[in-house]
Amino acid sequence: MMSGGAGPAPYLTIIATGRNDDFGGDFNGRFFRALHFNHQQLVAAGITHEFVFVEWRPIDRRPLLASLLADEFAEVSSLSLRSFVVDPAYHDALSLNPRLQFQEFIAKNVGIRRARGEFVLTTNTDIYFSRGVIARLKEAALKSGVLYRAPRHDLKSALDVSDIGWDVLEDERNCEVVNAIRPPLFTNASGDFLLLDRQTSQQLRGFNEIYRVAKIHIDGNFCVKAYASDIPIVDIGAPVYHVGRGTLHAMRSMYNASPGDAPWGDIRWKSDVVYDNGDGWGLGLAPEREIDRGTTFLAFDWHAVGPMVDLRGVVSPGVRQERAL
Amino acid sequence: MKRPRRILGLVPASGYDALDEQRAKAEARAGKLAQQLEEYKANSRVWKNKAEDALGELRKAQEATATAQKQLRQTEKQRDEHWKNAQKLKEDSEKLRRLQQERAAELLDLKQRLADSERDLVVAREQLMAIEVKLDILEGAANVLDGRTRELVTRRSGLGTESGTAV
Repeated sequence: MMSGGAGPAPYLTIIATGRNDDFGGDFNGRFFRALHFNHQQLVAAGITHEFVFVEWRPIDRRPLLASLLADEFAEVSSLSLRSFVVDPAYHDALSLNPRLQFQEFIAKNVGIRRARGEFVLTTNTDIYFSRGVIARLKEAALKSGVLYRAPRHDLKSALDVSDIGWDVLEDERNCEVVNAIRPPLFTNASGDFLLLDRQTSQQLRGFNEIYRVAKIHIDGNFCVKAYASDIPIVDIGAPVYHVGRGTLHAMRSMYNASPGDAPWGDIRWKSDVVYDNGDGWGLGLAPEREIDRGTTFLAFDWHAVGPMVDLRGVVSPGVRQERAL
Repeated sequence: MKRPRRILGLVPASGYDALDEQRAKAEARAGKLAQQLEEYKANSRVWKNKAEDALGELRKAQEATATAQKQLRQTEKQRDEHWKNAQKLKEDSEKLRRLQQERAAELLDLKQRLADSERDLVVAREQLMAIEVKLDILEGAANVLDGRTRELVTRRSGLGTESGTAV
């Protein structure tokens, strides 16, 4: 059961982001199926949790995905399923690359900043937890100050997912690719599973908001930031599942000749740099107003938008170490 | 009385016998002497041979001595050379040891400098990376501002970009 009412903070906050744009095909269906599955497994294991959904740059004249989500999970408490709808003006105000249609990681920062759980998991909407991940969470023995990663197993895209369960997810015949993770950074599809205690997540100030020219590798860049901050990164010891190889894999070859034109930004950007987000990270200064049960709207305000260019926020790990000395 | 007989060449029989006996003895002695002479001669030959042999041996010994002396001189010369070489080797060895010590110190210094250079290189690469990222940000910002400016100017002037007259 998700943590409900005004009770104690849940053990886990799960953060995902999206909008009602059918991204990748049947976006909402994939989202709801994975969420139902994960919610059922967490409830069965007795893991208190909340789900934080951030709707970034909602599309005009289309129902909010946050509203559809609330309808889909009507039985869940508004304190356990919280949505934040971000004024689309923020996307334009923060943009440093018009090709990027969705600032995924700033959206996730909105969720991290507002998370209530003891631990915060940033993931994607169509990720299924494995039995092992549920078991680790059930143990309630995760350590603070440790970034947990899980490898993503990509299942064949032709799978019938209408009634997905452990039998389908764990069947090796259904596995197409294992996105292996290796020390020290444990990157490779890291945006699908980054689990860290809330206090440390907020001390790190989330994902890179300084470099908004690309969104690709921002997840791996978070691992770099954590590593440079002396936060151990470990494999949680169990996978997460994803049906198909993902939109990036499907579209990547289209931009081989001109990587800079890709809708996720130039894949070649130097993502080993470390960043220092400003105080207002995660739209912390954005005015909030409740628009529906468990749904909060972040209204646009220039005060909530950091400087367009903050070059002091880009530091090399070496410089960081020198500063520490 | 005897003298006169002698003078006359007359010899009594007893004398004659005695003389004959003396003669026989003398002959025997002569024979013996002759035999001894022969023996002496033989001995003399032996000794001569021995002397010759000894002389030969002596010559050989002298030659051997000369050879040995020569060898000794050579050996002494070689010993001197070896000593000189040993001294030289010792000096060289000392020199090499000093060089080795200097090289070891240089190597240590080089290793330290290499480590410093590697560290500097890593820092330089990281700083270069940071500069590239900053340039990306500046370029992105410039492009966005350029787009906004064009849009604003176009809107204010009422000119469409398709007309080719804007900005």
